[in-house]
Amino acid sequence: MIDSLCDQVGDGDIAIAGLYCDFLAQQEQTITNIMGAILKQLVGRGDIPIDVRKAFQKAKREFGGRGPLLEDLMRMLRMAISSSPQVSICIDALDECLPKHLPKLLESLRDIVQKSPRTRIFLTGRPHVRGAIQRYFTGVAVISISPNMDDIRSYLDMRLDQDEDQDEAMDNDLRADILRTILDKMSDM
Amino acid sequence: MAQTTHTHSVNIGDNNDGCGNITGSFNNIFNLSDGDAQIMRWLSPLEPQNRHQSVRTDRLGGVGDWLLETREFREWRGGEGGANKAVLFCSGNPGVGKTYLK
Repeated sequence: MIDSLCDQVGDGDIAIAGLYCDFLAQQEQTITNIMGAILKQLVGRGDIPIDVRKAFQKAKREFGGRGPLLEDLMRMLRMAISSSPQVSICIDALDECLPKHLPKLLESLRDIVQKSPRTRIFLTGRPHVRGAIQRYFTGVAVISISPNMDDIRSYLDMRLDQDEDQDEAMDNDLRADILRTILDKMSDM
Repeated sequence: MAQTTHTHSVNIGDNNDGCGNITGSFNNIFNLSDGDAQIMRWLSPLEPQNRHQSVRTDRLGGVGDWLLETREFREWRGGEGGANKAVLFCSGNPGVGKTYLK
């Protein structure tokens, strides 16, 4: 999705920030780290804004250097967004974010949208997080993703073509068998 | 598709050459001074561009293109609804390919 948004612009008037939530990195993916990661993608494109520099210098002086607070990050994020014509934020696998972090994450995204209504938020997740998203946003557009058989077929073709372990047993019949078996299983998802 | 862990890296038709500066920003290929890199690390230890790079390398060209043609995507992308139409949620069970939408 990030690449599609990139392809569709290209004239530099849009900024895109993305993040993949991950079960394996749940402890690290705190709300401050997530918002910080979004902010750093926005400000890392050019000169780092002066307010970010100042906040960093200030934090470095205090207690031998402490991490940014969420409210500081949100303030810097609002500044960064307001100086860009349009910002899209993509967050993948919301359901892999720790449940205790999810409300605050959605609240922070809502806060961004309320202050910068042109901001676009693209989220993916398992169906069960839909309710949580709708508690924070009205008019959420929902697209259901189910396995696309054409996509899967072309992927399988590619993998079979590249299979290095292929021996003489592979022929058109076996290939058709493999495709049919996997596609049958996928259609049950 | 759940094959996010396969070891053969493929890069077929990943037609992102036109991305220019925007992808550049996401993939962090700009040059930072040591001081600036320190600020970036302070903002967050997370490096989402690493994961993004592996996803876009493994993605098969054309996968998920249908989504870009949907009315929901176009309306969301157009941004006319402002704050009331700010969120697009792609919902799906594990392994259906949400991460690999281009």
